[in-house]
Amino acid sequence: MNSSSVSSRTVITLIVVGVLLIVGGFIISQATPLIFPVEASAESKQIDQLFRIALLIGGAIFLLVQGVLLYSVWRFRARPGDTADGPPIHGSTTLEIVWTAIPAVIVVVLTILSYQVWSSIQAVKDDEQRVQVTGARFNWAFTYSTPDPRDTSSDLTFKSTELHTYIGRPVMLEMQTQDVIHSFWVPALRIKQDLLPGRTTQYRFTPVAVEGETYPARYPIKCAELCGAAHGEMVAWIVVHETEADYIAWFDQEVDKVLNPPADPVLRGEGILASQVYPCHTCHVLSTETLQWAGNVGPALNGVADRAATSRANATGLTAVDYLYQSIHEPGAYLVPGYSNLMPQLGIPECEAWSIVAYLCTLSDSGAPACTVELPAQCQVAAPPAEATPEAPVEAAAEATPEL
Amino acid sequence: MASISVPVGGAPSQPASRPRLRVSDYLRWSVDHKIIGVQYMVTAAFFFIVGGTLAMLIRLELLTPNLDVVQTGAQYNTLFSVHGLVMIFLWIIPMMAGFGNYLLPLMLGAKDMAFPWLNAFAFWLIPPAGILMIGSMLVGAPEAGWTMYPPLSTLFSGDGQTLAALAVHLLGISSILGAINFLVTVKNMRPAGMSYWQMPLFVWAIVATSIIVVMATPFLAGALTLLILDRIAGTTFFDATKGGDVLLWQNVFWFYSHPAVYIMVLPGMGILSDVLSVHSRKPIFGYKMIALSSMAIGIVGFTVWAHHMFTSLQPELRIPFMITSMIIAVPTGIKIFSWLGTLWRGKIRFTSAMLFSLGFLSMFVIGGITGVMLAMIPFNLHVHDTYFVVAHLHFVLFGGSVFAIYSGVYHWFPKITGRLLDERLGKLHFALTYIGFFFTFFPMHFVGMLGMPRRVAVYMPEFQGLNATASIGSFVLGLSTFLLIYNVIASLRGGRLAGANPWRALTLEWATTSPPPATNFVGEPMLFEDPYGYGTEGATAYLDAVERQFGAPPQALAADKSVSPAAQGASGD
Repeated sequence: MNSSSVSSRTVITLIVVGVLLIVGGFIISQATPLIFPVEASAESKQIDQLFRIALLIGGAIFLLVQGVLLYSVWRFRARPGDTADGPPIHGSTTLEIVWTAIPAVIVVVLTILSYQVWSSIQAVKDDEQRVQVTGARFNWAFTYSTPDPRDTSSDLTFKSTELHTYIGRPVMLEMQTQDVIHSFWVPALRIKQDLLPGRTTQYRFTPVAVEGETYPARYPIKCAELCGAAHGEMVAWIVVHETEADYIAWFDQEVDKVLNPPADPVLRGEGILASQVYPCHTCHVLSTETLQWAGNVGPALNGVADRAATSRANATGLTAVDYLYQSIHEPGAYLVPGYSNLMPQLGIPECEAWSIVAYLCTLSDSGAPACTVELPAQCQVAAPPAEATPEAPVEAAAEATPEL
Repeated sequence: MASISVPVGGAPSQPASRPRLRVSDYLRWSVDHKIIGVQYMVTAAFFFIVGGTLAMLIRLELLTPNLDVVQTGAQYNTLFSVHGLVMIFLWIIPMMAGFGNYLLPLMLGAKDMAFPWLNAFAFWLIPPAGILMIGSMLVGAPEAGWTMYPPLSTLFSGDGQTLAALAVHLLGISSILGAINFLVTVKNMRPAGMSYWQMPLFVWAIVATSIIVVMATPFLAGALTLLILDRIAGTTFFDATKGGDVLLWQNVFWFYSHPAVYIMVLPGMGILSDVLSVHSRKPIFGYKMIALSSMAIGIVGFTVWAHHMFTSLQPELRIPFMITSMIIAVPTGIKIFSWLGTLWRGKIRFTSAMLFSLGFLSMFVIGGITGVMLAMIPFNLHVHDTYFVVAHLHFVLFGGSVFAIYSGVYHWFPKITGRLLDERLGKLHFALTYIGFFFTFFPMHFVGMLGMPRRVAVYMPEFQGLNATASIGSFVLGLSTFLLIYNVIASLRGGRLAGANPWRALTLEWATTSPPPATNFVGEPMLFEDPYGYGTEGATAYLDAVERQFGAPPQALAADKSVSPAAQGASGD
């Protein structure tokens, strides 16, 4: 009789404690909006929900352990003068089975739930928008492709320093790095994937509408894998447009820039550098009216045209133009004294590289171009009618000089 | 039931001469495991201060979102890279080896380790490695983190990277030699009458740890060899542009470095099992399950490495590693619940040693819960390489390993020196450490989930509040360390005499004088059949016999009486 009443009280106690733990875990799990960024992707909603379940269980276990711990140290503290030992209890097979089995069940449940969410995140979606991501110390660039309106058999590509998408359209990123490992992380999307040298990795997400957000919404993209001195500053932005039309408006504008670049290669080159689609600014120092680069890894670029025409030309036997072009395409071929071979092969297309060289030629101490570039025929801009003559680049370079 | 194999009332046979050890004895080659143990501990403590100083600089830098304390990002990268390497390879691992060296032969009633010369050799590899490690900061930034991922570590990081890798290589050799020694000692040198199932749980933990060290560390050595060759000999093992593979490093590195987590925390769990039982005056709850769970953790620990690669590993391979990483939570849970079972109905004494063990229990469980969360791939994709991971690993390695080390220091200092540490200072040390620790590392969970990657000197201004909280917490934590250092120095000179067995513990290291004579025991050690058999008449008779043999603690210092005021104080909080 006595024992049965004790055991029924024990059962009631256990039930009450169990309910309290679950309620406590639930309350803890409801704090998640405070510790998560906004949920800007379909995946983020699934992952947050999964985390809330884990936090409910984890919170209950936390309360259980801390509760038993605090209760024990209060209830079973040795009273002053009590020198006796506790009872010689060595264990309880029942209890040990219980506290092996319950965690086992919990981890099985969490594993299954995680697997389901993981499969859903990984799944290939219909009609994915594909964007190429390039990571380089310490810069992100996004390459978009579309059939070339001038010649639909080939693709027109353009680079952007921001990743543009729109609500509801699944996106698949194909990511490559040009140097070390980087990791593409958008906290608002909850997903992270490394960029690995020698591999192309994939990243899938679907932007969703966020309540109260003003569009186009901007969320930070961060590098999460240590990549060097400016790792913490390797930040870019994802821009989520509200509608496909808004996105297309942006897209067409970018395509237009590609179709109608400045005819002047100097302006074109400067524009490429200013857009920061290549990571030049992260390593080189350059100070002009329009560009303020504060990298401290590579040689300074102010006055590079003079040096290219004099000491570098002497050292390499190349003309200033060829030396500058080589420095972009084979950065390790000649190392400026005092600098090591750290610059990656950036894979800059030929026309863009020549335009950059044209701009670099203008970086002389006197301000007058130290060299001039004649763009190869395929790089000449055909579309804008008037100034697209073969002589134009040279003239334009000369005109641009006073500004620099 | 309990019987004692002790000559009850035997003639008190205090060792005739106990030459007092001088400081200089610890500065030269010695094959005495007790001297080597102390050499390990003091050396490790020195590097704890080095690593701690680096940590303070890191937190100082992170007080503000901009780069201000250090000049360049590369310098910041050096701070946390060397901080991690020092804390893991020159503090926690050697400190645990120090406990192992000092205690294992004593707990087994042996005169020394199985290979005394090898033991000394393993220790003396550490100082040169430490010099290399500190030197690495001076010759060119090793800025690839303690994980040294190529190609950052091979193609970009400064010359210091090579020195740091060599230092870790040396420490790995030291670690392997030490572990072989532990295993042979446990296998061959147990006293007659002590089966494996009668060994203290600390010994079990050292066995599990040593098996991991012997099996895993050679992989680290292999990986480091390739890394060093890539750096100095022009090989391209990790250079993808020349046929190498960056994931090769990650796989082999984590094949060692995940088990290394258990190398760091299992001995701490062993310390906890001993301290909790002794200071709650109750047998450890579920001895066999705790011992076996150490072995289970050791074995399953070899199958989980790629959960450190959930954002780099090829996607199809991630699932199996999620499953194994989940499984390993079960034996860890068994330990936590068994420790709670040990406390239940005990006579808990709030000694400093006990407080740190209780602190371990309450903080380590957070590290365990976040560990399970990190094993869930979808959540891991969000928090991988963020401050959430930094929080998790510090809850395991500071809330776990370091709290256990502190607990062990308070528990065994009387054995090592013959004097007790000051309990009042000890409690203050605990309070500051516990609060400082919590406020340093708990906010890191939030800042990581909100979007701050780890290993950055520059962060978004909205994270400043949480970072400043962590920094202020860390300064409290840093200061608290000096209380322990002061306590150790002051107690060495003027601490109260401890006697042989101040805590009235049943394990063998207490059945000899404090500090023990050069041969550890005079005559046959007095072995009690159950190292955790508290609460039995046999145990009381045995403890009384030990007191008669080696002398009771000086008056008013008997553990029971000395802790009573403490118990009052603690229950009053």
